[in-house]
Amino acid sequence: MLSSKEYKELFPALKRKINGHDLIYLDNAATTLRSKEVMDAVCEYSLNHHANVHRSSHTLAAEATKMYEDARERVANFIDAENEEIIFTKGATESINLIAYSLATSKIIQPEEEILITTLEHHANFVPWQQIGKIFNIRVKYYQAKNGIFNFDDYLTYISHKTRVISITAVSNVTGQVIPIEELISKVRQIRKDIIIVVDGAQSVPHLPTNVKKMDADFLVFSGHKMLGPTGVGVLFGKKEYLNKINPFLFGGEMIDKVTTKDTSFNILPYKFEAGTPNVDGAVGLAKAIEILEDIGMQNIKEHDKILTDYAIEQLKLLNFLEIYGPKNESQCSIVSFNVKGIHPHDVSQLLNDLYGIAIRSGHHCAQPIMEELGVKSTCRISFYIYNEKEDIDKLILGLKKVWEWLK
Amino acid sequence: MVKIGLEDLYSDIILDYAKNSKYKKEISSASKSEGKNMSCGDEITLFVKVKDDVIEEISFLGHGCIISQASAAMMCEILEGKTLQEATQIFEEVINMSQGNDFNKELIDGVGIFSDISNFPMRTKCFTLAWHTFEEALKSYHNRSEKL
Repeated sequence: MLSSKEYKELFPALKRKINGHDLIYLDNAATTLRSKEVMDAVCEYSLNHHANVHRSSHTLAAEATKMYEDARERVANFIDAENEEIIFTKGATESINLIAYSLATSKIIQPEEEILITTLEHHANFVPWQQIGKIFNIRVKYYQAKNGIFNFDDYLTYISHKTRVISITAVSNVTGQVIPIEELISKVRQIRKDIIIVVDGAQSVPHLPTNVKKMDADFLVFSGHKMLGPTGVGVLFGKKEYLNKINPFLFGGEMIDKVTTKDTSFNILPYKFEAGTPNVDGAVGLAKAIEILEDIGMQNIKEHDKILTDYAIEQLKLLNFLEIYGPKNESQCSIVSFNVKGIHPHDVSQLLNDLYGIAIRSGHHCAQPIMEELGVKSTCRISFYIYNEKEDIDKLILGLKKVWEWLK
Repeated sequence: MVKIGLEDLYSDIILDYAKNSKYKKEISSASKSEGKNMSCGDEITLFVKVKDDVIEEISFLGHGCIISQASAAMMCEILEGKTLQEATQIFEEVINMSQGNDFNKELIDGVGIFSDISNFPMRTKCFTLAWHTFEEALKSYHNRSEKL
């Protein structure tokens, strides 16, 4: 297990008192805390090197450009991609919108074809496809995850000769279920080679080692802020083959090659997809965050999160006033969802916060389709990261017992 | 002013209103108004019967946290028997209170227990869900009256 106490030192928020209690932060699936190192890196860039990138020829511009492109390289190495396959976006949501819109406008998906998504998705990987389907008259098929649980064999039956795109999360942001993405992609490729596979890595990339070459996805998206990076920066990985084929999503400065009154030709990858002045601060911060994660080692993070998740499930199962959702076994990563019987999740989270300084998420987690599968409107969700330890879970259990005593 | 704490927010009175309200039911042949808190999925359906500009009967159904349910129950208790004009005034004062502004304490004595709800900004929307649903009901009523 990681030396979480040591990592806690890096995050000033964990020194805060909430109603007189040490903050216990269990809302990492929503966003991770800010570390001083990441913020120092952003500050250093902002105060001493800030300039627009790829444009001017002065010293600051050269430094800013180098820092931005170094960040791209850091991200590329982190997931074993090529630099030109890494597009910086605002986040996973924008990345998926970009893919969906660009595939449709490029007519790579035809009206008679189908997009396959699942009811496990958070809205970022659900709504863009649904809406693109409506606008471009493309059928969107929904894999129904019964009881919110993904079933591999069941899923494969949804693939037909019409399937053109599948987009699927690697880890459910509600139940924490890990989808066996590599195996899934391999099976899909055996069924049909020309299906475009999009993987939503928002909840997997921060927690599990990721190698896009091994995974063989055509696109992978993730967010910076769920892996210690700043908000407002995310990544779209795409295979060059597709990035070269699809239309840009945003038009404007920097993404152009030649502009005349007759037409515009576009820049090479990855700049073709990065119109306007990019979020250099975000990219620099994300690069620093990745450096921290690499220093710890993604395999170590995976094991740490698994120990905590298993421990949490084991302890929560002992509370007979809880209903736990999802597989409740070894296929869960870093996230556990539950409800206290008869008590609304908002009340649970309010009491945990005020009585014990424990921050959890309550609500539908921007994933209403899976709520429907689970037969609930909302849940309590706990999620872990490098600075969490078993003691945090012990305090949560105490807190839940108190909530039950108070509100049952 | 004494600020309320968690004990007040989850006091026995509030728990009782949330769990045992006689106003949590459907009223047949009443006007219906629906309210939602998009971010948390809470929903409420309000049933209002108005006769001669007086709220003759009012009730609610729905699901949500203790704060939203207690607030809905208290709202029904206060508004029943009030004229629409009185109800509108009460609504406005309740919203003032929820926003931490000055409000007429006497007019909304029935929800006084929530007088410092603005100290819990994340819960304000839970508290006001029923009231905003009532606001919608008022608008529908006035729209219908204008057409008549």
